[in-house]
Amino acid sequence: MQTLISRRRVVTGSTAAMLGTAFVPRFAYASDPINIGSLTPNTGGGAPYGGNMAAAIKRTVDQINAAGGVLNRQIKLTQEDGETNPETATRAADKLINVNQVIAILGTWASSVTLGIMPKCQSANVIQMCVSSSSDIPLRDTKGLVFNFQILNPVWGRALGQLALERGYKRFKLMALNNDFTKSILDGFVDAVGAGRLLEKPFYYNANQASYKSEVSHLLEGNPDAVFIPGYVTDFTAIYKDIYRSGYKGRVITVTFAASAPFKAAVGDAAEGILHGYPIPPLDSPAYKQYLREAGLEDNGQIQHPYGTLCRDQISVLALAIQKAGSIDVDKVKKAIVDVSTGPGKKTVYNVLDGLKAIRAGEEINYSGAGSPVEFDSHRQTVDRDVQLYEIKGGKDVVLTTRKG
Amino acid sequence: MMGQMIVNGVVTAALIAPPAVAFSMLFGILRFPNFAIGGYITVGVFTGYAANVLFGLPLWAASLAAMLAGAAVVWASDRIIFRPMRTSSPVTLLVVSIALTFVLEHTVRLVFGADVRGFDLPLERPLVFGGMHITRPQLYLMGASLLVVIVTHFLLTRTRIGKAMRAMADNSQLAEVRGIRSVLVRVMVTLYCGALLGLSGVSAGLDLVIEPLLGWGLTIPIIAAAILGGIGSVYGAMLGAVLVGLAEEFATLILPSSYKIGVGFAMITILLLLRPYGLLGQPEIKK
Repeated sequence: MQTLISRRRVVTGSTAAMLGTAFVPRFAYASDPINIGSLTPNTGGGAPYGGNMAAAIKRTVDQINAAGGVLNRQIKLTQEDGETNPETATRAADKLINVNQVIAILGTWASSVTLGIMPKCQSANVIQMCVSSSSDIPLRDTKGLVFNFQILNPVWGRALGQLALERGYKRFKLMALNNDFTKSILDGFVDAVGAGRLLEKPFYYNANQASYKSEVSHLLEGNPDAVFIPGYVTDFTAIYKDIYRSGYKGRVITVTFAASAPFKAAVGDAAEGILHGYPIPPLDSPAYKQYLREAGLEDNGQIQHPYGTLCRDQISVLALAIQKAGSIDVDKVKKAIVDVSTGPGKKTVYNVLDGLKAIRAGEEINYSGAGSPVEFDSHRQTVDRDVQLYEIKGGKDVVLTTRKG
Repeated sequence: MMGQMIVNGVVTAALIAPPAVAFSMLFGILRFPNFAIGGYITVGVFTGYAANVLFGLPLWAASLAAMLAGAAVVWASDRIIFRPMRTSSPVTLLVVSIALTFVLEHTVRLVFGADVRGFDLPLERPLVFGGMHITRPQLYLMGASLLVVIVTHFLLTRTRIGKAMRAMADNSQLAEVRGIRSVLVRVMVTLYCGALLGLSGVSAGLDLVIEPLLGWGLTIPIIAAAILGGIGSVYGAMLGAVLVGLAEEFATLILPSSYKIGVGFAMITILLLLRPYGLLGQPEIKK
């Protein structure tokens, strides 16, 4: 009996079928999840904040998914640790883009990380949402894909410089960690105090050195009235120990995350008198109070989770923008990000679920966040964040003043 | 300024000399560059931290605890990982030791978190001599470092076990033929070097800051000091440490400080080109 289908035909047909499926374009179906990645600094210099940031994103995604998702699709969140290290972060971004096929990467903290992964995100047309402050960020974003939820450094540096002048200091020396974050904060500080008051041009040190003694000796040469040292808590703690042990009696000024609680615990009473400051969440905002409840924190009137709040805002704004755009087409979503967060005459919402409901009801919304009111300028940079300035007294941060961002 | 830079360089040397001695001795017996020294130092500093801050022990007792923990972890890693792999190539063992550093550091991070910490010891203002400043803990650090070098020299030259260590480092097969118990020597070397690395962890925590990557940051200067001084030479490791410390300090006079590590290594490269076995090392004769 003659077989209708020969073995040769079966093999040929199967091979053709396999090859055929390999060239079928990959369509996203309505039921497919929406892939979003986060790249928070769970370890390294940003470690004190990374955990809160990752948790805030995860918590908000869980809320959205439990309420039915966005565009009737669940969000699939992939979270990676950038280690506050641009090399590690770049590898992780590669994986998020090529393996997890995310449409956006949220939660980058260090400017060096945000800038480090930017070329990959730009070439893959992936949205970036960051809390970094380098002035280079808007300059290098040629495709309009980067949305910065932190104010840029010059504002921050100027606030600290103005405080130093008000305290009557006249002779300064500046030293900073060698990275993208610090360069522009130094510019702001110099802008405020005036270059003529510097005893020497600012200089930079590297992280993870076996010793910072030569840098400290150099910094204190000429006995300046005050020194400004923006860095991360790890290097700043080692440097400050050497400053104290050198007998320096002038004023030390830094950024708040360098003089955070672990720093104070590590150096004890020696921290007395340090001036520091940073951009803060709007403490009276309903969104900030909601965030505290979501994170299980008591409202104690102090700044809590300064970056966790911003990450809640990032994922909320992104989800709202996808709903508003009606698709995950990146060009439509990036336009919608500004639509749902910026501009007057819209209904103000303080959390993502209220916002999704309003958009579905056809309303125009303006998301006001837990970390800031989330108003973007034409370069997609957050404006309108206040900077709070402190002095360490009795082991605690005493608020000196709050300056408008 | 110049005098202060010398003081700074010597303090840095005091910090990296004992672990450089330990690295050098471990190399002599294990015959590969053990990059896990950073992980061992991290285990030491966090054990010292736990003993001092969490259990309220004085710093000397915390240092002892760190030495015991260092000895235990170096011995255990040799027993579990390196001894079974002793027939592998030095390059394989080097890569494994780098991986071990990450395992140790991440284990510490898992237990203690990534925050910076400090010992329960107030920071001190300095003593000033002729315009140069130094603190009492830094003087203790320099004294302890010198003591370590002298004790190690005494151990290696005046004791039976020390002579056995040197014989093993010279030619392990010949030493075994002559009746030296190689396993015992290996155990003693790992315990001694582990104790030195644990103590170095406490010194580094006092001088810098306690955090999981502390050991990794010190690894390159330590290895540079050991190589510069001549692998296998205790006094060479100390001399290498002083030169690395001073080179990094004085480099800032020539270049911006962000390049200082490069100047130190340029100096090491030039010296090693002229004298490949280090300043006080002996050339190895291969047949």
